[in-house]
Amino acid sequence: MTTLTRTNPVTTANPTRPGRARKRLRRIPLYAGVTVLLVVMVYPLLWLLLGSFKTQDEFLNNPTWSLPDSFANFSNYAEAWSSIALYLRNSILAVFPALALVIVLGTAAGYALEVMVFRGRGGVLLLFLAGIMIPGQMILLPLFTVYFKLHLTSTLWPLIITYTAIGLPLTVFMMATYFRSIPREVFEASTLDGASAIRSFWSIGFPMMRNAVFTIALVQFFFLWNDLLIALTFTTQDYLRTVQVGLLNFTGQFGAVDYGPTFAAICINMFIVLVLYIFLNQRVMRGLAAGAVKG
Amino acid sequence: MNRVLGDKRAILLLLGPALLVYSVVMLMPMLWSLGYTLFSGSVVTGFTWVGLDNFQKLFTDPAAREALLFTLKYAVVITIGQVTVGYGLALLYVFFLRKASATIRTLVFFPVVLPTVAVSLLFQKFFEFAPQTGPVNALLEAVGLHAVDWFGTAGTAFWVIALMDIWRSMGFYAVLLYAGLVDVPDELLESARLDGAAGWRLVRSIVLPLSLPVLVSSIIFSINGTLKVFDSIYALTGGGPGSGTTPLTLLMYRTSFFYGDYGYGSTIALALTILCLIVTLFIFRANRRDLTQD
Amino acid sequence: MNSMLKRRRTLLVGALGLSATLALAACSGSDSGSSGKSSDGGSGKSASKLSFLAINENETIPTTLTTLSKDECKAQDAAQPLEITKQAQSTLDQQLQLLAGQDALPQLFISANAPSLNAQLAEQGTLQDAGEALKTLGISDSVLPAATSVIENLYDGKQLVLPTELNIEGIWYNKKILADNGIEVPATWTELTDAFAKLKAAGIQPISQAGKGGDGWGVTRWVGNYIARDLGATALQDVRDGKAKLTDSEYVKAADAIADLGKQGYFGQSPTSIDYTTALNTFLTGDAAFIYMGSWAVSNFSDETQNKVGADNIGFMHFPAVDGGKGSADQMPANVGTAVAISAKGFKDTATQDWVKCIAANYGTVALRDSGQVTGFEVSGDTNVAPLSQLVQDEIGKTKESILWFEAYFSPQATTTSQNDGGLLGSGQLSGEEFMKQVQASLGS
Repeated sequence: MTTLTRTNPVTTANPTRPGRARKRLRRIPLYAGVTVLLVVMVYPLLWLLLGSFKTQDEFLNNPTWSLPDSFANFSNYAEAWSSIALYLRNSILAVFPALALVIVLGTAAGYALEVMVFRGRGGVLLLFLAGIMIPGQMILLPLFTVYFKLHLTSTLWPLIITYTAIGLPLTVFMMATYFRSIPREVFEASTLDGASAIRSFWSIGFPMMRNAVFTIALVQFFFLWNDLLIALTFTTQDYLRTVQVGLLNFTGQFGAVDYGPTFAAICINMFIVLVLYIFLNQRVMRGLAAGAVKG
Repeated sequence: MNRVLGDKRAILLLLGPALLVYSVVMLMPMLWSLGYTLFSGSVVTGFTWVGLDNFQKLFTDPAAREALLFTLKYAVVITIGQVTVGYGLALLYVFFLRKASATIRTLVFFPVVLPTVAVSLLFQKFFEFAPQTGPVNALLEAVGLHAVDWFGTAGTAFWVIALMDIWRSMGFYAVLLYAGLVDVPDELLESARLDGAAGWRLVRSIVLPLSLPVLVSSIIFSINGTLKVFDSIYALTGGGPGSGTTPLTLLMYRTSFFYGDYGYGSTIALALTILCLIVTLFIFRANRRDLTQD
Repeated sequence: MNSMLKRRRTLLVGALGLSATLALAACSGSDSGSSGKSSDGGSGKSASKLSFLAINENETIPTTLTTLSKDECKAQDAAQPLEITKQAQSTLDQQLQLLAGQDALPQLFISANAPSLNAQLAEQGTLQDAGEALKTLGISDSVLPAATSVIENLYDGKQLVLPTELNIEGIWYNKKILADNGIEVPATWTELTDAFAKLKAAGIQPISQAGKGGDGWGVTRWVGNYIARDLGATALQDVRDGKAKLTDSEYVKAADAIADLGKQGYFGQSPTSIDYTTALNTFLTGDAAFIYMGSWAVSNFSDETQNKVGADNIGFMHFPAVDGGKGSADQMPANVGTAVAISAKGFKDTATQDWVKCIAANYGTVALRDSGQVTGFEVSGDTNVAPLSQLVQDEIGKTKESILWFEAYFSPQATTTSQNDGGLLGSGQLSGEEFMKQVQASLGS
């Protein structure tokens, strides 16, 4: 996957001058295709954005593709924000602690499995791998019973714990792969200096992995942030809803007829993801792609 | 071997927490779920031992058969769609857009990171038939066709689901396959070009064979994901109309939590796990082939 | 050494950051836990709040409770402030099962859509028998005998829920549309379908009915009533008792009659896309002539912002008799609709008991006064009653025999199947036979 960083691999010979005009002509369908692609990708999002500024009256009386009367109509946003803010808070409080745990535990385990030497490490790695294919549905019911018995429902702990466990297999596996790419001599040398295994992990292993950690954290963030199944099952109370579950309930709450706030709520969520994405898009793409192939 | 790197206490400290969390929260519930398959009932009604009845039911239940067929149909169609469109885009990025592709790549990839529920709600409104007319139906009417009640029949609802999931994820597969295509050596393409190969022939005879490993990986990855589809369908159609778009995952969810039958729900989940297991075995084999070819 | 120190410090900072996030999460946990504990009433100490789980589709109950909390039940609210959470009706049963599984039901909640689930919860011991509760408090007489009998009819002689509604159901019509098209109020099924045909030909949507997801009950009510009119009031009990099957030809005939309405397009252009709110809105904006609805909607009918056709423009007719049928149009579909249940655990708390006492004493009066909602509670004093509410009260008074709705005796699974498929029946995509086959399969046996 490292090759992705190469910007432009295929360079063709410069076309000879006479062929140029013809070539440009031949490219017209290509440009048309790209234009269609852009419209298909952008228009739904644009339509959504426009809709978020429309009043109920405009929805009912104007054609669906018309522009909103006013781009300064933020009443939909105000209405949506009152409930979305809580959902965002819940998502943040559930996802970030889990993310921190996944990264720390996962990197340590990846280090142990790849750098440390002990019997049965292949087996343990395989055990983690098995976790990648377990569908979430398979663990829901027992976890539900246990969380209840521990009186954890009506807190966000079930989400944090489950997210941590669900995120671990892929993280451990990818971390092990990354550590494999570092020459063993680096770690062996550090231990010769008298550093303990733990210290060499913290002082050499973890810092070297800074990029990998960041990438994996990003991948896991999007997985966890966009989780629906687990949040839907374990958030039995209104005030614990995460963004996804909250959005799902949003149409119901405002009735299917009240479009504006629903559109605004979707938009708010898009903006948040968009900001993150604009700054980090190269890394997100690379990371998700790498995660996919290894997974 | 290095004694420090074999330090048992250090290994325990590094590996222990992750292994513990993973075993307690994933492996044990997994086994526990296997136990549930032999019971019927729920936390509310209490459990009764039913032996293998749930498995027998699984094979005779028309709802399960319908859901299995839907899951397979969905997995196959979406996988083909995602990978084909993704491959087309990747070819576009590598051979036609070249330097300009970064912006388009970024744009096409964006829906991948959006919350599924947000995208589902968007498509619900986009294809709306009643009480409001969404843009798609407005367009159909504008060009003189009849508006279609997209979510009214299972057949058309399926196509909206398919369209949405392809729209949502094609950017992802494009980037994945792009990475594979970029690996194709320039010299090889150059020499093929000198031999007069161009366009489709170039793709078929040189590019396709060389990017086969990553293509296979994508297909298998896509199947594995689509078999477990839940979010997008739950939010878009809720499995309806009727039960026309209900995959195994949703059936399992309904059976367990709506109908209060944990045993049968677990049995459905097990069937799904086995299905995924078979596919994952393929992943391993494909990956191994991938490695030997590198 | 220096660098080591620095590294240590960064490590420390990292660890601190991690524990800070964890602490924050824990904080939120305990913070939300405190309100969560409100349902933890039973443990001797009084719960800090009175949680009530409401549904999005019903405004009257939360509104009435809120009004009570500010006036008649002020003292109770001071001791245990009312807290309302909302939930989509379609996921209510699932939610109740989950909460009951953890013995975490809120003190008050909208009872399950499937009566069989309420019975299960009572058997499990998480749902308080409301009749027993009122007896304990010595206020059994606060519930009208008519309401008691409807509830007991449903729950095998037990009064499991509080009758925050006492509804009759039937077909409401737009007087003006009927008059404009020269249609007399239909008295038989044939007259009714003739009226539909006439309206359809005139370009008017005959019936407004929801069929989206779980809202398909709007369509299946037609099936249930047709069965009752055609096969008699006990026909669905026979199905429960195993004496008959829904796939028997006389039952299929009823479903076919409704599927036929669907095929003719009488339910509008796409009932599967229409939810409850939209269906009601269509009728109240004068875009459809008929709607099958329970009298709980009278509060919507009396609301001028929703009702654009005017309350005096709305008429009520019994579901008509079917020619040669065993039932009669006087057998009134009646139920307690969206009823409120008490959790067993919550009721151990004296503060909650005070609340129940206050609700039983005042709910009927306030709901009738403010929302025009007829309830199963005794009404004290003279209340100015809106004409439509008066009509409902009169109809209830006249009712000699009541019948239940199609899914009343069904399991949650069969209820889901029936209501989800209802939309397809209403859009004419499902034949009566297929519909009944699927529901019967979900019923098991």
